[in-house]
Amino acid sequence: MNFVRQILKEQISHLNLIFRLSLYEEKGKYAMHYLGALWQILNPFIQIGVYWLIFGLGIRKGSPVEGTPFFLWLIIGLVPWLYISRTITQASNSVYAKVNLVSKMNFPVSVLPTIIIVGNSISFIPMIILTLGIVLGYGIFSGIYLLQLLYYLVSLYVFLFAMTLLLSTITTIIRDIQIIIQSIVRLMMYFLPIVWNVHNFPELLVSMLKLNPLFYIIEGFRHSLLGGEWFFEDIPYTIYFWSITILILTIGSYIHLKFRDRFVDYL
Amino acid sequence: MNPKIRFMNVSKSFSLYSKQSEKLFDIISLKKDRDHFFALRNISFEVNEGEAIGLIGLNGSGKSTLSNLLAQVIPPSLGKVEINGETSLIAISVGLNNSLTGLENIKLKCLMHGLSSAEINKIKSAIIDFADIGKFINQPVKNYSSGMKSRLGFAISIHTNPDILIIDEALSVGDQTFYKKCLDKINEFKSQGKTIIFVSHSLSQIEAFCERVMWIHFGQIKMFDEAKKVISEYKKFINWFNSLSESQKKKSRNEMLEDQYKEVSNGQAQLVKSKRGNSNLGFVLQILILILIVISSATYMF
Repeated sequence: MNFVRQILKEQISHLNLIFRLSLYEEKGKYAMHYLGALWQILNPFIQIGVYWLIFGLGIRKGSPVEGTPFFLWLIIGLVPWLYISRTITQASNSVYAKVNLVSKMNFPVSVLPTIIIVGNSISFIPMIILTLGIVLGYGIFSGIYLLQLLYYLVSLYVFLFAMTLLLSTITTIIRDIQIIIQSIVRLMMYFLPIVWNVHNFPELLVSMLKLNPLFYIIEGFRHSLLGGEWFFEDIPYTIYFWSITILILTIGSYIHLKFRDRFVDYL
Repeated sequence: MNPKIRFMNVSKSFSLYSKQSEKLFDIISLKKDRDHFFALRNISFEVNEGEAIGLIGLNGSGKSTLSNLLAQVIPPSLGKVEINGETSLIAISVGLNNSLTGLENIKLKCLMHGLSSAEINKIKSAIIDFADIGKFINQPVKNYSSGMKSRLGFAISIHTNPDILIIDEALSVGDQTFYKKCLDKINEFKSQGKTIIFVSHSLSQIEAFCERVMWIHFGQIKMFDEAKKVISEYKKFINWFNSLSESQKKKSRNEMLEDQYKEVSNGQAQLVKSKRGNSNLGFVLQILILILIVISSATYMF
């Protein structure tokens, strides 16, 4: 736990720095584009449109999922996923991309992935609120289940922090991993309940897919926005999610602290 | 008085890899024997507050390694480095982001140093004024000349208010007027009681404002004394070295380098290894417990 504590302490003591730097980077991201920050919202909408066309109108012929209109069902899963996939690929490369810039100063390398997580949230949080608005516009209100959204957002951030800390360290040492991550992230979308309803699949297959912690989060977003289930109703799955997250966090912190001094040597 | 910088028997070795895969093996330490090159061997010295120290030596003698150690960019392989205060390293290619403009680089660098927006706005104009880049300040850094880059880097580093300033041959690209400006700034630093480490090949520059000079010779301190003394000795050595014929030069250089590799066989490399990797039991136990919880909760799911 010492390793984890040290990493967390670094994040907390540099909270100001994280927010300022991520805001600065987000501002600069679309500085060269004429439409500027509008792309932050436009980009996901184009992707949602594409998936809706292919899976909603093409494959499903517009039929609803368990009584929910497919478009609604899709965006609740797809909006978090677009954020997750973008953050994982970018943050896992963050240390490698920035270590040259920060190595000549006393800068805590462990905040680099966090900056990406926070920076991408600047467009993610409005997207979630927008999604909520669309859901309400359809006349669906999950009532008290909506409170779970906070819990699942926290779960999402803790998981992303643990995962990107580990990945950003490994990819700096072994560059090949970065390419593997990109492929896996692209593929993983189809192993999650995002574009199709996996509950039609055989039970054993669903249980196997559930081993992916992201399954827990995507399902959680649906449970919060559409209602139906509390996170504490499936205790084993909740324990599984948190124990694997803490495991990743512990290993990630250990590897990060072990190799951080030598990042420059391995470039 | 407490010294600002203290080095105790510091060595820095670099592993030499002939293949990319050897690097990987070294990380997970599967193979033990590896060629090492000792860039620095058994360096011990102290620097006090308000001192200006010059660093001289031939190419490849370890000056840049030492300045990187001072700036805490790289950790020592052996020994202990104690530094009391904020260091700032100024090298020719300081971390400027090439695709950002000069102004954005100033902002980014200052943010990374932990300055607030108000503070940045306050020193921004001072930096622009000092760097003297003109309208290019709004152009991407990739379009800058090498002189502009180093001026900007110098200007940013000096305005972030470090206690210890390490200048690694950064002034050699500037012209005389910029050099004069830097000299004034450095003298201002000195009068504030800040410590300056100055790496340069220009003996006249070093003589101009360093009280003490360290001569590094193939990874070891050959002399560390008053500026005049060391510089005259160094000049003598350079003259002697230049008088040698081409083949003799090569021979003596190779002898010196051979020495730096040789040290490895004396068990120093073993020490480097043993410093690493004593895994603690608590951590392993913790990981095992976590894995156990993961597996047992996973089986419950099926």
